[in-house]
Amino acid sequence: MKRLQRAALLTELVEQMRAHESWCGETHLQKATFFLQELLGVELEYDFVLYKHGPFSFDLRDELGDLVSDKLIRYQPQVPPYGPRIAVTEEGEAVQEIYPTTLARHADRITFVADKLDARGVIDLERLATALYVTLDAPQTSAAERANLLRQLKPHIPEPAALRAVRELDEIRAEAEAIAA
Amino acid sequence: MAKELNEIRDAVHVFVEADPDELAVVNSRPFQRLRHIHQLALTYLIYPGGTHRRFEHSLGVMQVAGRIYDIVMRDENLSDVVREVVPGSRRKREYWRSVLRMAALCHDTGHLPFSHAAEKELLPDGVGHEQITRALIESELMKPVWDGMRPQPEPEDVVKLALGPKEARDLTFNTWEAILAEMIVGDVFGADRIDYLLRDSLHTGVAYGRFDHSRLIQTMRILPPAPDLAGGEEAPTGEEAERSTLGVVRGGLESAEGLLIARYFMFSQVYFHSTRLIYDTHLKEFLQAWLPGGQFPTDPEEHLQITDAEMMAAIRAAAANSADAAHEPAWRIVNREHFRVFYERAPEDVALYPEAATAVFAAAQEEFGAASVRYADSRKAAGTADFPVRDRDGKSVSSLALSQALQQLPEPRNEYVYVVRERREDARKWVRDNRRAVIEAAAQAEKEEDE
Repeated sequence: MKRLQRAALLTELVEQMRAHESWCGETHLQKATFFLQELLGVELEYDFVLYKHGPFSFDLRDELGDLVSDKLIRYQPQVPPYGPRIAVTEEGEAVQEIYPTTLARHADRITFVADKLDARGVIDLERLATALYVTLDAPQTSAAERANLLRQLKPHIPEPAALRAVRELDEIRAEAEAIAA
Repeated sequence: MAKELNEIRDAVHVFVEADPDELAVVNSRPFQRLRHIHQLALTYLIYPGGTHRRFEHSLGVMQVAGRIYDIVMRDENLSDVVREVVPGSRRKREYWRSVLRMAALCHDTGHLPFSHAAEKELLPDGVGHEQITRALIESELMKPVWDGMRPQPEPEDVVKLALGPKEARDLTFNTWEAILAEMIVGDVFGADRIDYLLRDSLHTGVAYGRFDHSRLIQTMRILPPAPDLAGGEEAPTGEEAERSTLGVVRGGLESAEGLLIARYFMFSQVYFHSTRLIYDTHLKEFLQAWLPGGQFPTDPEEHLQITDAEMMAAIRAAAANSADAAHEPAWRIVNREHFRVFYERAPEDVALYPEAATAVFAAAQEEFGAASVRYADSRKAAGTADFPVRDRDGKSVSSLALSQALQQLPEPRNEYVYVVRERREDARKWVRDNRRAVIEAAAQAEKEEDE
């Protein structure tokens, strides 16, 4: 996928997330992109690793820096103590107009991710995204086993919260199958 | 018993202190090779003072990383939340301090001759200088050095901190290891960045790179992140600790601003200077013609045998021999016959089409011939200037919420299209007459391709 084509999809994702009440800071966008790529199969070509706040892509972080340089997105400062929100600029919206077919092809997937992750906070997103991370590694294992794997990676997550995250993920996966197909 | 410390005089830090174990690394072949690798590649052709080497930079990174560690690990500087991710025992803290300083020393040992210039094209896919650094740290050559130390470092721990999670993606980092790696290679406050800005500024004579690094380091802390959900959930303490990172106390915000502003100026003035970028291109073309298969070896032993000294001898020989396959780029470097800029990225063009410069480049190649036109891009994302600041009530606040200077900080970004000196005026006229049409046509073609 071309760089600008990816930019069109990312800016659309940002707009959809904000329309679905997401805070849309970098962590929120990282997790949403992880879902879009790994659960919905949109080939964005980012390499995700498990970092201290769950699945994280350094490639995506670099790309966001490029998008800021190109003035396609900007970080909107918030009142203290909160971190910045990401917003799409007019130039970013202009890039979307270059790729109407690409956007139409992935529109339902982007909306699905924005809808399922909606206004969740970073703690919730980290649990859910890490649940997806362990599920991709061990798709055939039971929810309890995956919750256990999740806690091996993130020992600070309480057991009931880990299990809840895995079960919720399974529900999202079931719904996603129809869209990703 | 405390180890004896040796003092090495340094142009930036006055003295760098090194214990006998650290001197053993300094005396190793991988580290001694850094005496012959210019920190700023061919930048000395523009800024004559920029002839310093990665050797003294790496010593400086060790000095800065050690100071950061000592400050953030002072008992009074560790909050209850952060103590959950910091080793409790003195023995473990001493171990990690030692590993941190070793990693700081080694972090650049894999650099190719002339440092960063065109590394991507000159190494096999998926290999960067960081992977060569890793191979050297894990090599049989370094094993006796590690084995002779007390405490004895695990090479994998040194690799983790020297490369960080971005470049050692197959390794799993716990929060503590990720924070330590940030102390060296972190995007905002890494010792690597602190030292290179100060050192490059000093040697190039570009004063914009200076900032109050002593104050900055003194005010650095390990902090939980600022909240980023307005009116939202409180993180459980354990999970908040897991996301801890490097930040500053409120009184250090101005020195952090100073660093990030210095970075902006140094990138604009030095690292992304148009002539520096075109020399990188000529150097890459020389190396592609001169190296067997057009690529550097990745084997550690072969890597250790090539430095800037061998490269410069080869460049001078090729420049003097018109039959040499690498003659032309070598001749351009030696005789300062670099290509000249005729188009520079402009905001009004980027507004029409973000890939405006590459569109001009492609059209200029058709107009003047591919051999006469070059393109260079300064793309190097800095990331956000968002980091936690410990406010007076002890809570973390986003730096971007507090600092108007950081809110307005521009991102250094440039693209240039060059042409051979003889065609520069023709190219300038051509771009004046055709720029808008070329850019609009490229945007339209992209749109039609998508449809």
